[in-house]
Amino acid sequence: MKKLMNIFLLSCKKATELIEKREILPLSTTEKVQLKLHTSMCNACKAYEKQSKTIDEALSEWLKKKEKKEDKGLSGQAKSNIINKLKEN
Amino acid sequence: MDVSNTKNKYKTVESWVDQFGDYLYSWALYKTSSKETAEDLVQETFLSAFHSFDTFQNRSSPKTWLFSILNNKIIDHYRKIARSFSSIDTTNEKDSFQITESLFDKNQNWKPSGFENIWEKEQNILDDPEFTKIFDGCLKELPSKWNLAILTKYRFGKDASEICQELDISPSNYWQIIHRSKLLLKKCIEKHWM
Repeated sequence: MKKLMNIFLLSCKKATELIEKREILPLSTTEKVQLKLHTSMCNACKAYEKQSKTIDEALSEWLKKKEKKEDKGLSGQAKSNIINKLKEN
Repeated sequence: MDVSNTKNKYKTVESWVDQFGDYLYSWALYKTSSKETAEDLVQETFLSAFHSFDTFQNRSSPKTWLFSILNNKIIDHYRKIARSFSSIDTTNEKDSFQITESLFDKNQNWKPSGFENIWEKEQNILDDPEFTKIFDGCLKELPSKWNLAILTKYRFGKDASEICQELDISPSNYWQIIHRSKLLLKKCIEKHWM
């Protein structure tokens, strides 16, 4: 049964590949149908779809936090460094 | 060039440092996630602006002009990083690839890991400080090129594919790297977070 599913409906590896691919490149109609059929029958890949989104959100949170922590504008020290460098020219 | 002209140029660029320094810095910080790198890139931007001041003819606003210089510096910065990948990184990448392969059986379907239900918590897992800590660690464990590729997706959004070409990553290779990175992150999170 699993083998038969692979022929018509992609393997889980291929399905998860398409889940990531569609975020970057448009899928062909065949790919779209194959993926839809696969995720409608495969709970693990349906779960992967959600997990992938969670990882996306975690990544964007991670970046935001990192930015917030450091972003207090260009420091006075950095500004005067630039101005000193300009003077050397 | 006469002295008064140089003085004038200096005065103008100096005023730009005050006026646009913070904006440029925020942008550079967003694109690189590093205070030191962002400061360096902004400094280089103003020095370049000073040296090529004569090519700036008020056709665009100074802000637009400075941002275009900065964006080129940011791309250069990533090119330099891409060039610095070593053989250790390649080995690391091969190992990581093998780990992601091992998540699937011979028919390329999921092998049960036993940790599937850790993702199904009532509370939003992103609010869990423990998760944040683990995620931070897992991100560091990614091979350098994968880490760069996956963060590029968020830093550059729609322009990510363009940047990746600069990094010698083709568009099809790009989503494959993203796919492998996600699998590795998933495995790492499941391993550490029970």
